[in-house]
Amino acid sequence: MDVQRYISSGVIENHVTGLLSETESREVMAAIQQHPEIRAAADAIQQDMERYIEMWAKKPPAALKRQLMERLNKDDVEEAIPVVEEQAATFAEVESFSSNGSMSLQLSPLKMWQYGAIAASVLLLVSTTLNIVAYSNADNYKTRNTTLEAGQVELTAERDAFKEQLDHTQKENSLMKDPAFKWVKMLGVGKHSGAVATICWNPESKETFVLAQVLPEPPEGKQYQLWAIVNGKLIDAGIFERDSAKALQKVKNVEKAQVFAVTLENKGGSQTPTLDQMFVAGKVAG
Amino acid sequence: MGAAVTYTESELVLGLKARNEKYFGYLYDHYSPALYGIALKVLNDETAAGDVLQEIFLKIWRGIERYDAEKGRLFTWMVNIARNTAIDTLRSKAHKLGQKLHELGPNAQASDQLTVQPVIDHLGLVKVVEQLNKEQRVIIDLAYYKGCTQEEIAKILDIPLGTVKTRMRNAIIQLRNILKQI
Repeated sequence: MDVQRYISSGVIENHVTGLLSETESREVMAAIQQHPEIRAAADAIQQDMERYIEMWAKKPPAALKRQLMERLNKDDVEEAIPVVEEQAATFAEVESFSSNGSMSLQLSPLKMWQYGAIAASVLLLVSTTLNIVAYSNADNYKTRNTTLEAGQVELTAERDAFKEQLDHTQKENSLMKDPAFKWVKMLGVGKHSGAVATICWNPESKETFVLAQVLPEPPEGKQYQLWAIVNGKLIDAGIFERDSAKALQKVKNVEKAQVFAVTLENKGGSQTPTLDQMFVAGKVAG
Repeated sequence: MGAAVTYTESELVLGLKARNEKYFGYLYDHYSPALYGIALKVLNDETAAGDVLQEIFLKIWRGIERYDAEKGRLFTWMVNIARNTAIDTLRSKAHKLGQKLHELGPNAQASDQLTVQPVIDHLGLVKVVEQLNKEQRVIIDLAYYKGCTQEEIAKILDIPLGTVKTRMRNAIIQLRNILKQI
């Protein structure tokens, strides 16, 4: 601490004349305890102040002393029953004085202690109550927050799903409207009559989609695969799901096709088609 | 009266702690004018100041056990009790000094009304009152005798809060300079 600067800051003068708040005064007292120079400065100001006070001295009316001595005697008799309040007051004053050693006291320690104690009790009670309320509220809020968060995650996921679905539907819509796409209806082959699937193929962009309308559920480990047939050769056009959420499932691009056919293959698809497992087939028009 | 005997402060304290009324009489004779002066300046009313002076001395009498000479002078201790008791009374009387100040209005005249206009019978005081300017006297009186906070003083004198501290320091420095000449 820069002691000289502290001394010339004016804080000691303000302390001695009682201008500082309790907290500020306590800080000054601590500084007085720590630094002899600050103590000396504070003592000097204190003495100046006391000289000023003494200048205003005035002899009280003579009757006062007699009255006081009478009260004192009465007080002595009553001293067997200690006046707790008064003792608290003087104690507070002495405490304040002794921790301080200077003139600047906190105002009316008795009242302050009393009011302070009452206020503190009330505040404590209020605070405790509020804490309990706040705690249980906080607990409620926490639970609610968790629930809401979970709900929000759910909603977000749902919204994303809907959005994806919507996007897809819109895409499907545009596909269906797009005159460049050729629609090839594939009907059941042999014993699979009644099965239906439709191809949506753009010969220019080569984009290909399959619509699995009626296909029997594949056995465990099996999957449907699409083939494009050009001049009797079957070219893999990719695998697809029987019960996709999407109506039109995108498959591999198809360069050329005269006929589309769907076979049942092992899961993951095959290099070469299992021809006796052909379910549907359809000829590309034109 | 105390003219016949003179006690040192420590003798006085010992006598008071022994509950000897003779010492208490001595204490009263020697210190009551200074303490009465404080009460009078705080309360600006002789009857109220007289009542408060009795309270002050009762507190001293009852609290003397707790006075510790190592912590400070007896006079300083008593002055603190006097100031506290008087300001306490002022506050309970006026309820809120701020309210009273508000009624008087936030101008310099208001603070004049709040400070006691002394019957000057003390040569040193004449000098102090002459040489401390009004502004400096008012700020000391408001803080010390009326127990006003910095905020209250700033409001009463209509000056910025930061100025209060500076002005107080200047007032005390000026007071010291005057005291040196006396």
